Amino acid sequence: MIPNDPEERDALAGEYVLGVLDAEQAREVDIALATDGELRAAVAFWEKKLHPLSALAEPADPPITTWEAIETHVLAAKISPRSSAGAAPWRLSTAAFAALAAALLVYVAVVPRMTPPPASPLVAVLQTSPGHGASWVAVIGQDGLKLSELTNQRPPTKRAYELWGIAPHATRPVPLGVIPSNGKMQLAALPNGVSAGATLAISIEPPSGSPTGLPTGPVVFTGVLRTT
Amino acid sequence: MDKQRLSRQRDGSRPRRQLPMNQPASLSSPNVLLEAVARGSELALKRLYALESRRLYGIALRIVRRPEVAADVLQDSFVQIWQNAGSFVPERGAAAAWLTGIVRFRALDAVRKHGREILSGDPTLGEAAVEPEALSRLDADADATALRHCLEALEANQRRSIILAFVDGLSHSEIATRISAPLGTVKSWVRRGLAALKGCLTP
Repeated sequence: MIPNDPEERDALAGEYVLGVLDAEQAREVDIALATDGELRAAVAFWEKKLHPLSALAEPADPPITTWEAIETHVLAAKISPRSSAGAAPWRLSTAAFAALAAALLVYVAVVPRMTPPPASPLVAVLQTSPGHGASWVAVIGQDGLKLSELTNQRPPTKRAYELWGIAPHATRPVPLGVIPSNGKMQLAALPNGVSAGATLAISIEPPSGSPTGLPTGPVVFTGVLRTT
Repeated sequence: MDKQRLSRQRDGSRPRRQLPMNQPASLSSPNVLLEAVARGSELALKRLYALESRRLYGIALRIVRRPEVAADVLQDSFVQIWQNAGSFVPERGAAAAWLTGIVRFRALDAVRKHGREILSGDPTLGEAAVEPEALSRLDADADATALRHCLEALEANQRRSIILAFVDGLSHSEIATRISAPLGTVKSWVRRGLAALKGCLTP
Protein backbone atom coordinates (compact mmCIF):
# COMPACT_ATOMS: atom_id res chain seq x y z
CA MET A 1 0.00 0.00 0.00
CA ILE A 2 1.34 3.39 -0.99
CA PRO A 3 0.14 5.89 1.65
CA ASN A 4 -1.63 9.13 0.73
CA ASP A 5 -0.29 11.22 3.59
CA PRO A 6 2.59 13.38 2.24
CA GLU A 7 4.83 12.75 5.25
CA GLU A 8 4.24 9.01 5.08
CA ARG A 9 5.04 9.06 1.38
CA ASP A 10 8.27 10.97 1.97
CA ALA A 11 9.30 8.48 4.62
CA LEU A 12 8.48 5.55 2.32
CA ALA A 13 10.49 7.13 -0.50
CA GLY A 14 13.39 7.62 1.90
CA GLU A 15 13.24 4.00 3.06
CA TYR A 16 13.13 2.91 -0.57
CA VAL A 17 16.28 4.87 -1.40
CA LEU A 18 18.02 3.67 1.77
CA GLY A 19 17.20 0.13 0.68
CA VAL A 20 15.60 -1.02 3.94
CA LEU A 21 12.27 -2.08 2.43
CA ASP A 22 11.81 -5.79 1.92
CA ALA A 23 11.55 -7.14 -1.62
CA GLU A 24 7.74 -7.08 -1.60
CA GLN A 25 7.48 -3.47 -0.39
CA ALA A 26 10.21 -2.33 -2.76
CA ARG A 27 8.34 -3.89 -5.69
CA GLU A 28 5.14 -2.05 -4.70
CA VAL A 29 7.09 1.20 -4.83
CA ASP A 30 8.63 0.26 -8.18
CA ILE A 31 5.21 -0.29 -9.67
CA ALA A 32 3.79 2.91 -8.18
CA LEU A 33 6.75 4.90 -9.53
CA ALA A 34 5.73 4.12 -13.09
CA THR A 35 2.62 6.26 -12.71
CA ASP A 36 3.11 8.41 -9.60
CA GLY A 37 5.01 11.58 -10.41
CA GLU A 38 4.99 12.89 -6.84
CA LEU A 39 6.47 9.68 -5.52
CA ARG A 40 9.15 9.86 -8.23
CA ALA A 41 9.98 13.39 -7.08
CA ALA A 42 10.21 12.20 -3.47
CA VAL A 43 12.58 9.38 -4.47
CA ALA A 44 14.67 11.81 -6.54
CA PHE A 45 14.91 14.12 -3.50
CA TRP A 46 16.40 11.38 -1.35
CA GLU A 47 18.72 10.09 -4.08
CA LYS A 48 20.17 13.56 -4.48
CA LYS A 49 20.31 14.49 -0.81
CA LEU A 50 21.74 11.22 0.51
CA HIS A 51 24.23 10.79 -2.32
CA PRO A 52 27.14 12.47 -0.46
CA LEU A 53 27.01 9.63 2.09
CA SER A 54 28.25 7.24 -0.59
CA ALA A 55 31.68 8.86 -0.18
CA LEU A 56 32.01 6.87 3.08
CA ALA A 57 32.61 3.72 1.02
CA GLU A 58 36.31 3.52 0.23
CA PRO A 59 37.06 3.42 -3.50
CA ALA A 60 38.69 0.16 -4.57
CA ASP A 61 40.19 -1.27 -7.73
CA PRO A 62 37.81 -3.57 -9.61
CA PRO A 63 39.36 -6.63 -11.30
CA ILE A 64 40.91 -5.69 -14.64
CA THR A 65 38.72 -8.29 -16.31
CA THR A 66 35.58 -6.29 -15.47
CA TRP A 67 36.10 -3.67 -18.17
CA GLU A 68 36.92 -6.40 -20.68
CA ALA A 69 33.65 -8.11 -19.82
CA ILE A 70 31.72 -4.86 -20.22
CA GLU A 71 33.40 -4.22 -23.55
CA THR A 72 32.53 -7.72 -24.73
CA HIS A 73 28.92 -7.56 -23.58
CA VAL A 74 28.16 -4.01 -24.59
CA LEU A 75 30.37 -3.13 -27.46
CA ALA A 76 30.86 -6.42 -29.23
CA ALA A 77 27.16 -7.18 -28.99
CA LYS A 78 26.48 -3.76 -30.48
CA ILE A 79 23.59 -3.04 -28.21
CA SER A 80 22.61 0.50 -28.98
CA PRO A 81 21.92 2.87 -26.15
CA ARG A 82 18.43 4.21 -25.91
CA SER A 83 18.11 7.43 -27.88
CA SER A 84 17.90 10.44 -25.63
CA ALA A 85 15.98 12.24 -28.33
CA GLY A 86 13.22 9.65 -28.39
CA ALA A 87 10.18 9.63 -26.19
CA ALA A 88 10.79 8.24 -22.72
CA PRO A 89 7.31 7.61 -21.43
CA TRP A 90 8.55 6.18 -18.17
CA ARG A 91 11.19 8.61 -17.06
CA LEU A 92 11.89 6.67 -13.91
CA SER A 93 14.46 7.53 -11.34
CA THR A 94 17.65 5.57 -11.44
CA ALA A 95 16.63 3.51 -8.53
CA ALA A 96 13.36 2.64 -10.08
CA PHE A 97 15.02 1.62 -13.32
CA ALA A 98 17.27 -0.96 -11.78
CA ALA A 99 14.66 -2.28 -9.43
CA LEU A 100 11.81 -2.26 -11.89
CA ALA A 101 13.83 -4.16 -14.44
CA ALA A 102 14.68 -6.74 -11.81
CA ALA A 103 11.09 -6.91 -10.61
CA LEU A 104 9.77 -7.47 -14.09
CA LEU A 105 12.29 -10.20 -14.74
CA VAL A 106 11.10 -11.97 -11.62
CA TYR A 107 7.49 -11.40 -12.64
CA VAL A 108 8.03 -12.90 -16.05
CA ALA A 109 9.98 -15.78 -14.58
CA VAL A 110 7.36 -16.76 -12.02
CA VAL A 111 4.32 -16.35 -14.26
CA PRO A 112 4.72 -19.02 -16.91
CA ARG A 113 0.96 -19.42 -17.27
CA MET A 114 0.08 -19.40 -20.91
CA THR A 115 -3.14 -18.66 -22.68
CA PRO A 116 -4.69 -21.79 -24.19
CA PRO A 117 -5.27 -21.54 -27.95
CA PRO A 118 -8.65 -19.95 -28.73
CA ALA A 119 -11.53 -22.02 -30.10
CA SER A 120 -11.92 -19.69 -33.04
CA PRO A 121 -9.12 -17.57 -34.46
CA LEU A 122 -8.51 -14.05 -33.14
CA VAL A 123 -7.40 -11.27 -35.41
CA ALA A 124 -5.90 -7.87 -34.65
CA VAL A 125 -5.29 -5.24 -37.26
CA LEU A 126 -2.57 -2.88 -36.13
CA GLN A 127 -2.56 0.66 -37.41
CA THR A 128 -0.99 3.98 -36.52
CA SER A 129 -4.36 5.47 -35.57
CA PRO A 130 -7.89 4.18 -36.08
CA GLY A 131 -9.04 4.49 -39.68
CA HIS A 132 -5.49 5.17 -40.79
CA GLY A 133 -5.17 1.98 -42.79
CA ALA A 134 -3.86 -1.40 -41.72
CA SER A 135 -0.11 -1.82 -41.35
CA TRP A 136 0.15 -5.18 -39.63
CA VAL A 137 -2.13 -8.10 -39.05
CA ALA A 138 -1.87 -10.58 -36.20
CA VAL A 139 -3.75 -13.87 -36.19
CA ILE A 140 -3.95 -16.15 -33.17
CA GLY A 141 -4.99 -19.70 -34.01
CA GLN A 142 -4.32 -23.24 -32.84
CA ASP A 143 -0.63 -22.90 -33.59
CA GLY A 144 -0.09 -19.62 -31.83
CA LEU A 145 0.36 -16.07 -33.04
CA LYS A 146 1.39 -15.07 -36.53
CA LEU A 147 2.23 -11.46 -37.24
CA SER A 148 2.84 -10.13 -40.71
CA GLU A 149 3.17 -6.68 -42.22
CA LEU A 150 0.69 -5.52 -44.79
CA THR A 151 2.63 -2.49 -45.86
CA ASN A 152 6.40 -2.33 -45.93
CA GLN A 153 7.30 -1.04 -42.46
CA ARG A 154 10.86 -0.44 -41.34
CA PRO A 155 11.99 0.86 -37.97
CA PRO A 156 14.45 3.78 -37.85
CA THR A 157 18.15 2.99 -38.34
CA LYS A 158 19.62 0.92 -35.51
CA ARG A 159 16.21 0.41 -33.97
CA ALA A 160 13.81 -2.51 -33.98
CA TYR A 161 10.07 -2.96 -33.61
CA GLU A 162 8.98 -4.81 -30.49
CA LEU A 163 5.56 -6.39 -30.04
CA TRP A 164 3.62 -6.01 -26.78
CA GLY A 165 0.42 -7.50 -25.42
CA ILE A 166 -1.87 -5.63 -23.04
CA ALA A 167 -4.53 -7.76 -21.37
CA PRO A 168 -8.04 -6.21 -21.09
CA HIS A 169 -7.75 -4.55 -17.69
CA ALA A 170 -3.99 -4.69 -17.32
CA THR A 171 -2.05 -1.61 -16.39
CA ARG A 172 1.17 -2.64 -18.09
CA PRO A 173 2.17 -4.25 -21.36
CA VAL A 174 3.86 -7.65 -21.56
CA PRO A 175 6.78 -7.94 -24.00
CA LEU A 176 6.13 -10.50 -26.76
CA GLY A 177 9.42 -10.10 -28.57
CA VAL A 178 11.41 -8.15 -31.11
CA ILE A 179 9.95 -8.36 -34.60
CA PRO A 180 12.50 -9.80 -37.07
CA SER A 181 13.62 -7.43 -39.80
CA ASN A 182 11.64 -9.35 -42.44
CA GLY A 183 8.47 -8.15 -40.70
CA LYS A 184 7.21 -11.66 -39.90
CA MET A 185 6.90 -13.17 -36.47
CA GLN A 186 5.50 -16.36 -35.03
CA LEU A 187 4.91 -17.22 -31.38
CA ALA A 188 3.86 -20.70 -30.31
CA ALA A 189 2.74 -19.71 -26.81
CA LEU A 190 1.29 -16.47 -25.50
CA PRO A 191 1.28 -15.10 -21.96
CA ASN A 192 -1.94 -15.23 -19.99
CA GLY A 193 -4.29 -12.41 -20.87
CA VAL A 194 -3.19 -12.02 -24.48
CA SER A 195 -6.57 -13.21 -25.74
CA ALA A 196 -9.84 -11.74 -27.04
CA GLY A 197 -10.12 -8.07 -26.11
CA ALA A 198 -6.41 -7.63 -25.48
CA THR A 199 -4.48 -4.92 -27.29
CA LEU A 200 -1.37 -5.61 -29.34
CA ALA A 201 1.08 -2.75 -29.69
CA ILE A 202 4.36 -2.17 -31.50
CA SER A 203 7.00 0.22 -30.17
CA ILE A 204 10.39 1.37 -31.40
CA GLU A 205 13.18 -0.09 -29.29
CA PRO A 206 16.92 -0.83 -29.31
CA PRO A 207 17.82 -3.72 -31.64
CA SER A 208 17.87 -6.24 -28.80
CA GLY A 209 14.52 -5.05 -27.44
CA SER A 210 13.53 -2.85 -24.53
CA PRO A 211 16.13 -3.10 -21.76
CA THR A 212 13.52 -2.36 -19.08
CA GLY A 213 10.73 -4.79 -19.92
CA LEU A 214 8.44 -1.85 -20.70
CA PRO A 215 8.24 0.14 -23.93
CA THR A 216 10.99 2.75 -23.92
CA GLY A 217 10.35 4.26 -27.32
CA PRO A 218 7.17 5.54 -28.95
CA VAL A 219 4.28 3.12 -29.54
CA VAL A 220 3.67 3.37 -33.27
CA PHE A 221 0.99 0.74 -34.03
CA THR A 222 -1.89 -0.65 -31.98
CA GLY A 223 -4.83 -2.97 -32.55
CA VAL A 224 -7.36 -4.98 -30.52
CA LEU A 225 -7.65 -8.76 -30.76
CA ARG A 226 -11.17 -9.74 -31.84
CA THR A 227 -12.89 -12.99 -32.71
CA THR A 228 -13.53 -13.44 -36.40
CA MET B 1 39.80 13.10 -34.53
CA ASP B 2 38.37 12.30 -31.16
CA LYS B 3 36.20 15.35 -31.35
CA GLN B 4 34.71 14.12 -34.55
CA ARG B 5 34.23 10.63 -33.25
CA LEU B 6 32.51 11.72 -30.10
CA SER B 7 30.17 14.21 -31.61
CA ARG B 8 29.14 12.15 -34.60
CA GLN B 9 25.54 11.05 -34.33
CA ARG B 10 24.97 7.36 -34.76
CA ASP B 11 21.43 7.81 -35.91
CA GLY B 12 22.10 10.86 -38.02
CA SER B 13 20.05 13.14 -35.82
CA ARG B 14 21.13 16.66 -35.01
CA PRO B 15 23.86 16.82 -32.37
CA ARG B 16 22.52 18.09 -29.06
CA ARG B 17 25.70 20.04 -28.58
CA GLN B 18 29.34 19.78 -29.47
CA LEU B 19 31.57 18.25 -26.86
CA PRO B 20 34.30 20.67 -25.85
CA MET B 21 36.92 17.95 -26.14
CA ASN B 22 39.76 20.44 -26.36
CA GLN B 23 39.19 21.42 -22.74
CA PRO B 24 40.79 18.85 -20.48
CA ALA B 25 38.60 19.81 -17.52
CA SER B 26 35.45 18.74 -19.31
CA LEU B 27 36.94 15.32 -19.97
CA SER B 28 36.69 14.57 -16.29
CA SER B 29 33.05 15.54 -15.97
CA PRO B 30 30.71 12.58 -15.60
CA ASN B 31 27.86 14.74 -16.89
CA VAL B 32 29.56 15.47 -20.20
CA LEU B 33 30.70 11.86 -20.60
CA LEU B 34 27.25 10.52 -19.82
CA GLU B 35 25.69 12.75 -22.46
CA ALA B 36 28.21 11.42 -24.98
CA VAL B 37 27.40 7.85 -23.89
CA ALA B 38 23.73 8.60 -24.58
CA ARG B 39 24.71 9.50 -28.11
CA GLY B 40 26.41 6.13 -28.52
CA SER B 41 30.04 7.02 -27.89
CA GLU B 42 31.96 3.91 -26.87
CA LEU B 43 34.99 6.05 -26.11
CA ALA B 44 32.96 8.12 -23.63
CA LEU B 45 31.82 4.92 -21.91
CA LYS B 46 35.41 3.84 -21.55
CA ARG B 47 36.38 7.23 -20.12
CA LEU B 48 33.43 7.19 -17.75
CA TYR B 49 34.57 3.78 -16.54
CA ALA B 50 38.14 5.01 -16.07
CA LEU B 51 36.82 7.96 -14.10
CA GLU B 52 34.14 6.32 -11.96
CA SER B 53 34.82 2.59 -11.66
CA ARG B 54 36.93 2.74 -8.48
CA ARG B 55 34.36 4.84 -6.67
CA LEU B 56 31.43 2.74 -7.87
CA TYR B 57 33.17 -0.57 -7.21
CA GLY B 58 33.93 0.64 -3.68
CA ILE B 59 30.23 1.39 -3.13
CA ALA B 60 29.21 -2.05 -4.44
CA LEU B 61 31.88 -3.88 -2.46
CA ARG B 62 30.85 -2.17 0.77
CA ILE B 63 27.30 -3.46 0.28
CA VAL B 64 27.81 -6.96 -1.15
CA ARG B 65 31.14 -7.63 0.63
CA ARG B 66 32.28 -10.20 -1.93
CA PRO B 67 34.68 -9.02 -4.65
CA GLU B 68 33.33 -11.35 -7.35
CA VAL B 69 29.75 -10.24 -6.67
CA ALA B 70 30.81 -6.59 -6.61
CA ALA B 71 32.53 -7.08 -9.98
CA ASP B 72 29.30 -8.53 -11.42
CA VAL B 73 27.34 -5.60 -10.00
CA LEU B 74 29.76 -3.15 -11.61
CA GLN B 75 29.60 -4.96 -14.94
CA ASP B 76 25.79 -5.11 -15.00
CA SER B 77 25.62 -1.48 -13.94
CA PHE B 78 27.77 -0.34 -16.86
CA VAL B 79 25.72 -2.36 -19.32
CA GLN B 80 22.66 -0.61 -17.89
CA ILE B 81 24.40 2.78 -18.00
CA TRP B 82 25.16 2.19 -21.69
CA GLN B 83 21.57 1.26 -22.42
CA ASN B 84 19.84 3.87 -20.28
CA ALA B 85 22.16 6.87 -20.54
CA GLY B 86 19.48 8.57 -22.64
CA SER B 87 17.13 8.64 -19.68
CA PHE B 88 19.58 10.65 -17.60
CA VAL B 89 18.30 14.19 -17.19
CA PRO B 90 21.34 16.48 -17.11
CA GLU B 91 21.44 18.63 -14.06
CA ARG B 92 24.40 20.18 -12.39
CA GLY B 93 26.38 17.53 -10.55
CA ALA B 94 23.68 14.94 -10.93
CA ALA B 95 25.50 12.37 -13.07
CA ALA B 96 27.51 11.01 -10.15
CA ALA B 97 24.32 10.53 -8.11
CA TRP B 98 22.63 8.85 -11.07
CA LEU B 99 25.52 6.40 -11.42
CA THR B 100 25.57 5.76 -7.67
CA GLY B 101 21.85 5.06 -7.72
CA ILE B 102 22.24 2.39 -10.39
CA VAL B 103 25.11 0.68 -8.59
CA ARG B 104 23.47 0.80 -5.14
CA PHE B 105 20.24 -0.71 -6.37
CA ARG B 106 22.02 -3.44 -8.32
CA ALA B 107 24.10 -4.18 -5.23
CA LEU B 108 21.04 -4.25 -2.96
CA ASP B 109 19.32 -6.50 -5.46
CA ALA B 110 22.30 -8.86 -5.46
CA VAL B 111 22.23 -8.97 -1.66
CA ARG B 112 18.50 -9.70 -1.62
CA LYS B 113 18.91 -12.42 -4.23
CA HIS B 114 22.08 -14.17 -3.18
CA GLY B 115 22.37 -13.18 0.44
CA ARG B 116 25.30 -11.41 1.90
CA GLU B 117 28.57 -12.96 2.89
CA ILE B 118 27.65 -12.87 6.54
CA LEU B 119 30.50 -11.28 8.34
CA SER B 120 28.66 -10.93 11.61
CA GLY B 121 31.83 -12.07 13.31
CA ASP B 122 33.68 -9.22 11.69
CA PRO B 123 33.80 -6.55 14.36
CA THR B 124 34.61 -3.86 11.84
CA LEU B 125 31.46 -4.37 9.79
CA GLY B 126 29.76 -1.03 9.59
CA GLU B 127 31.73 0.43 12.45
CA ALA B 128 33.79 2.81 10.36
CA ALA B 129 30.71 4.51 9.03
CA VAL B 130 28.98 4.67 12.37
CA GLU B 131 31.60 6.63 14.23
CA PRO B 132 30.55 10.29 14.33
CA GLU B 133 33.95 11.37 13.05
CA ALA B 134 33.32 9.29 9.91
CA LEU B 135 31.13 12.15 8.73
CA SER B 136 34.21 14.33 8.56
CA ARG B 137 35.19 12.22 5.54
CA LEU B 138 32.29 13.59 3.55
CA ASP B 139 33.17 15.97 0.73
CA ALA B 140 33.32 19.68 1.38
CA ASP B 141 30.80 20.73 -1.25
CA ALA B 142 27.51 22.39 -0.33
CA ASP B 143 25.30 19.27 -0.59
CA ALA B 144 27.65 17.18 1.52
CA THR B 145 28.07 19.92 4.11
CA ALA B 146 24.31 20.35 4.44
CA LEU B 147 23.81 16.61 4.83
CA ARG B 148 26.57 16.38 7.39
CA HIS B 149 25.09 19.15 9.53
CA CYS B 150 21.65 17.57 9.34
CA LEU B 151 22.97 14.11 10.20
CA GLU B 152 24.93 15.49 13.14
CA ALA B 153 21.73 17.02 14.46
CA LEU B 154 20.03 13.60 14.62
CA GLU B 155 19.96 11.36 17.68
CA ALA B 156 22.93 9.00 17.55
CA ASN B 157 20.84 5.88 16.96
CA GLN B 158 18.86 7.49 14.16
CA ARG B 159 22.10 8.58 12.50
CA ARG B 160 23.73 5.16 12.91
CA SER B 161 20.71 3.39 11.45
CA ILE B 162 20.51 5.64 8.41
CA ILE B 163 24.22 5.39 7.68
CA LEU B 164 24.26 1.60 8.10
CA ALA B 165 21.33 1.35 5.70
CA PHE B 166 22.69 3.67 3.03
CA VAL B 167 26.41 2.93 3.12
CA ASP B 168 26.42 -0.74 4.13
CA GLY B 169 23.09 -1.60 2.56
CA LEU B 170 21.82 -3.24 5.74
CA SER B 171 18.12 -4.04 6.08
CA HIS B 172 16.09 -3.13 9.18
CA SER B 173 16.68 -6.54 10.71
CA GLU B 174 20.39 -6.53 9.90
CA ILE B 175 20.73 -3.16 11.60
CA ALA B 176 18.82 -4.51 14.59
CA THR B 177 21.25 -7.43 14.86
CA ARG B 178 24.21 -5.20 14.25
CA ILE B 179 23.50 -2.73 17.01
CA SER B 180 21.54 -5.12 19.28
CA ALA B 181 18.25 -3.24 19.24
CA PRO B 182 14.68 -4.50 18.76
CA LEU B 183 13.49 -4.52 15.13
CA GLY B 184 10.55 -2.18 15.77
CA THR B 185 12.83 0.30 17.48
CA VAL B 186 15.20 0.33 14.53
CA LYS B 187 12.30 0.88 12.14
CA SER B 188 11.16 3.89 14.11
CA TRP B 189 14.71 5.27 14.35
CA VAL B 190 14.95 5.15 10.57
CA ARG B 191 11.51 6.73 10.11
CA ARG B 192 12.03 9.50 12.61
CA GLY B 193 15.55 10.10 11.36
CA LEU B 194 14.28 10.47 7.79
CA ALA B 195 11.50 12.85 8.89
CA ALA B 196 14.01 15.02 10.75
CA LEU B 197 16.42 14.95 7.80
CA LYS B 198 13.65 15.91 5.43
CA GLY B 199 12.83 18.95 7.56
CA CYS B 200 16.48 19.89 7.91
CA LEU B 201 17.38 19.43 4.21
CA THR B 202 14.34 21.18 2.76
CA PRO B 203 15.11 24.84 2.15
